[in-house]
Amino acid sequence: MLGYVAIGVPCGILSASIGLDALQAFLLSALFYSGAGQFMIPNMWLAGAPLASIIASVSLVNTRQMLYSAAFAPACRGVRKRLAFLFAATVTDESYGVNVAKFSEGGWSVGRATAVNLLSQSSWALSNVAGVLVGNAVGVPLAIASFAMTSIFICLLVTQKPSAANLVAAATAALGVIACKAAGLSGPAILVGALAGVAAALAFSWAGRRG
Amino acid sequence: MGSMGWDGFFVVLVCCGATMLACRVIPLFALKGKNLPEGVERALGFIPPAAFAALVANDLFFPGMFDAGPWPAAAPLVAAGVVALVAWRTRSLLWCAVSGVAAYALLSLV
Repeated sequence: MLGYVAIGVPCGILSASIGLDALQAFLLSALFYSGAGQFMIPNMWLAGAPLASIIASVSLVNTRQMLYSAAFAPACRGVRKRLAFLFAATVTDESYGVNVAKFSEGGWSVGRATAVNLLSQSSWALSNVAGVLVGNAVGVPLAIASFAMTSIFICLLVTQKPSAANLVAAATAALGVIACKAAGLSGPAILVGALAGVAAALAFSWAGRRG
Repeated sequence: MGSMGWDGFFVVLVCCGATMLACRVIPLFALKGKNLPEGVERALGFIPPAAFAALVANDLFFPGMFDAGPWPAAAPLVAAGVVALVAWRTRSLLWCAVSGVAAYALLSLV
């Protein structure tokens, strides 16, 4: 949960820099609830992007959640609809990483996973509010604040199982993102890169089985 | 650049919130109660390394970032290396966020 505080405060600071108040930061954190998205919105706004392009880019980056959602489908078999909905609606990058690890260890339930999600969401929302208050009080360089999010993603990447196929997935995804951005497609870069990574790892594991 | 204001904020909140909810909920309900083919299950297993690598690469690399020379453009990459080491040793999200911000702040002072 403390990880959320460590990125929620910088995210709140960034939100304050585009004039969002504590209530707005709270609403965004509670209803939209996306670390990457909530860092993107102020970053793009400060870069002078129009609202439509912010929404399109954030929505494209949101699509990675479809992959997480699909990944949890087997675990939610036979779970009550309301609980499954609440669980699905509160999944995010970090709690996804935590819950996937717990489910694969076994002895983990959707109820507990939802509790993890809700705790994460509350600490996220509260630390965003704290960040707005801090941001209004003192000037913190924004690039430093947004590096907190990058650090979390690096941690989640490094703690993946270091199998050959996973390395292929990660390397291809990173190269795919760099290639997309070099071609001027920075909006869909994350989605395209991630899909390319999954495809390459699948091809790699099939080839390995035959050979 | 000025403040976003309530109007812009509401548009962003409603649009981003709606696409986010759809992306989070629909796949889970569409697939629930079905046995996934083995290939699909394997593909799902490759999502985390691919997605996190894509997010990291997206944060660290920009076209033309080395146009003004290798430094300070490489500072975030060095800070990322520090975080990767901390992640590998501690496996803690908190320590990664703290060390990442500290390393980045120190390196941008250099």
